[in-house]
Amino acid sequence: MEEHHSVNVTSVLSDASPHSTLSLESCEYYQTEIFDQLPSIQACRPGRSRQGVLGVCEAERGSPQPGEKRSDGHPWTRAPRDKASLQPLRNLAMCIEAKRGARVRRQMEISNIGYWESWRRSQSINRKRVWAQMRGSLSGMLPWKRTLRVIEGRFGVGVKAYFVFLRYLIYLNLLHCALVWGYILGPTTFYGRGNSSKPWRFGSKDSFLQFFNGSSYLNQSPVFYGFYTRGSLNFPCLHTPLLYFAGILTILFLSLAMVVRRMTVGLKHTWLLGKRYSVNVSYKIFRGWDFTIQDPAAGTLKQSFIRNDLKLFLEEQSFSQREAKRTLGQRVRLYLLRFILNVLVVSLLGGAFYLIFFATETSLEECGHGWFVSLFLQYLAPITITFVNLVLPNIFRKISSFEDYSLTTQVNTTIVRSIFLKLASLGIYLYFLFKTTKALEQHQCKENRFGREICKLSIFNFLAMFFKTFLLEFPRKLVQEKYPTSLLARRLGTQSFLITFNVLDLVYSQTVSWVGIYYCPLLPLIGIVTLVATFYIKKFTVLRCCVAEQRMFRATSSSVLFHFMLLLGLLMAAAALGFSLLQEEVTVDKMSSCGPFGNGETLYNVTGVCVDSLPSLAQSVLRYMASEAFAVPLILTEIIILTSYVSRGRVNQRAILRLEDMLVTSSSDKRFLVRQHTTMLRLQRELRRLRSASFREDAAPSVAGKTSRPPPPPPENEAD
Amino acid sequence: MDYTNEPDCKLPLALIVNMPELKENPFRSRIVESFSEDGMGNLSFNEFVDMFSVLSEMAPRELKAIYAFKIYDFNVDNYLCKEDLEKTLNRLTKEELTPEEVELVCEKAIEEADLDGDNKLSYADFENMITRAPDFLSTFHIRI
Repeated sequence: MEEHHSVNVTSVLSDASPHSTLSLESCEYYQTEIFDQLPSIQACRPGRSRQGVLGVCEAERGSPQPGEKRSDGHPWTRAPRDKASLQPLRNLAMCIEAKRGARVRRQMEISNIGYWESWRRSQSINRKRVWAQMRGSLSGMLPWKRTLRVIEGRFGVGVKAYFVFLRYLIYLNLLHCALVWGYILGPTTFYGRGNSSKPWRFGSKDSFLQFFNGSSYLNQSPVFYGFYTRGSLNFPCLHTPLLYFAGILTILFLSLAMVVRRMTVGLKHTWLLGKRYSVNVSYKIFRGWDFTIQDPAAGTLKQSFIRNDLKLFLEEQSFSQREAKRTLGQRVRLYLLRFILNVLVVSLLGGAFYLIFFATETSLEECGHGWFVSLFLQYLAPITITFVNLVLPNIFRKISSFEDYSLTTQVNTTIVRSIFLKLASLGIYLYFLFKTTKALEQHQCKENRFGREICKLSIFNFLAMFFKTFLLEFPRKLVQEKYPTSLLARRLGTQSFLITFNVLDLVYSQTVSWVGIYYCPLLPLIGIVTLVATFYIKKFTVLRCCVAEQRMFRATSSSVLFHFMLLLGLLMAAAALGFSLLQEEVTVDKMSSCGPFGNGETLYNVTGVCVDSLPSLAQSVLRYMASEAFAVPLILTEIIILTSYVSRGRVNQRAILRLEDMLVTSSSDKRFLVRQHTTMLRLQRELRRLRSASFREDAAPSVAGKTSRPPPPPPENEAD
Repeated sequence: MDYTNEPDCKLPLALIVNMPELKENPFRSRIVESFSEDGMGNLSFNEFVDMFSVLSEMAPRELKAIYAFKIYDFNVDNYLCKEDLEKTLNRLTKEELTPEEVELVCEKAIEEADLDGDNKLSYADFENMITRAPDFLSTFHIRI
């Protein structure tokens, strides 16, 4: 008996070893008796003992239904009882009868709690309802919701993200317009301008062509810097020039705050626990299907999106495997190829910049040509810049396909190169513009000149996009439709909406708007008009001329990228503005002759006058803050604060990793202990059976001569 | 089937999954089953209302996460094991991925989301992963 018993014990024990199969684990784990008694499972069933008033459903969870295979507690009604009783009823995961019962119970409870407590509760409920209503109505007021839904259904989330970004830029420009009205246009309208400023009238020598040249009529309009002079509002600290500057500063700071906030909101979703979830497959699986799809064609499209997305993920996996297997020779050749291609890219960029320089020089020479040639020359620089920005990114895209990177790295390198191209070309243009406008004579308004050039750039951008749509993309689509088998159609292929390039265009136009806002305060208004027109043109392009790209774009990570590009543009605009203001201070003799800081005033003078008029305490505080003695402690404090945040973040990450390990080990401990317990119980039962069987054997006299104990029979043959 | 005379009648699964709102959804039978008391997909009126109220735009996120977990849990064991994931994936892609690819994707998914190391996703793991998805709410609803 002993060896049978020991054999039994060891065989059962080996079953319960940690290396048992997963299926054995899973079906045994829930069937164990002790599972229901575990504290974590008990915590999931807070209302088990309370019977509902209606008796249909349990208080906090459904009672075991005959059809359910498991009667385990649902782990989601974990909220402690008092928190659950304060949650709005609609948040509880119960069936309708249970919610009705909960409502009845809550109303009965009201008689138990005092008058004050019930009043407070009803107030908080009403407040939450009002907030929810306001939020709902605000989100209902967003324009173009239906269009975005249609686009998302047909083209996926990435293209919708582009249009959402476009809408956000429209709001930003609306805000800028409001600020411009408040700080700049408003005071000028109410308090008038200076006596020496030229009146704004349609002169005799003006003609329609002059509109495009931006000469006298527009020159003196409120569009440009030169219109705003010191009017009747003449307090030492509150006058038109100071308000003008304050308005521009407010616009830039507010834009900075908004862009940074949107960027960090997007960042929080992509950075998880310190691990970069650049490819989140589980998210793709569970969030992949859009439950609002009702159209079979949209359903098929969504399935092909999901399939292609997963194939992209698998491709990236196989790429990284391939990359790891590269031999040394292959690596050397690849790096050489990449180096050559990078040199090619740099030379292309250099060539583009030289072209822009040449165009700027040529366009600023005003010689006596015919009207069309002079118009063309005036617009030469914007034409060159737009042409360069159109052609080079496509070339970069082709180049990066030769460099043998993974697909996401390819897209990222193209984006980085294109951003650099656009911002650097704008920067170089501005630099040459500065240099050449500084060389102008005294009486001409340099700022107006500068603002005119920026306006031209902005308008020309829009015109280029307009013509590109109607002269390139729409005909291409028509050729595809009418003559699908022709050589031209086959060579051109189908076009899809390239999201990153379009976003780059938006960012570029917004950067131009920010650069020019100091010299041309109505530029946000022009921006709004062009953006709204862009929305409709792009909607036409997408819905009419493009086919859905088969690769799904990762929407969340891209929103971070979009806002980061916008931030770069804003920083560049701020740097350009600061640079130009500093230049004005340095060259004292080249004072501006127009605008708010004309007549021998500079920004420093004006602020100096303002500060002098303040009470002496405020004056000394302000002077101290502007001096170097304040800058050093300020920088030190910022460094200390940053370091503390970074170190706190690192400590939290380490704590998270340790907690994860603890979770894994404690849950495996739990499983092991449950199995051990089950094994023990089973052993005890076996022993009891054996004892009772042997007892019956001993007690029964009429067994056929067998005095030795029979081997322990398998459990199914027991007659118990 | 007369609701006014027989208010306790139950609609069969086959009728409900042919609704235009649900017809294109690869998880339609699972959705209906997870709201039915008997687990077979026959819904009474109250359960029908429950289903569409959870799937509406106004339902809070936690509630949707709870029911999303129920829907994806094919073998109703309160855990999303690998077989559940494989079935989900096959329904999502209409079985156009090869079995090895399916297995690779499911393994990677479990590896990413499983926090307590038991090779299955419990509700806590699922909720953790889903709350990071900012647009889960906007796709997990059916407009009726």
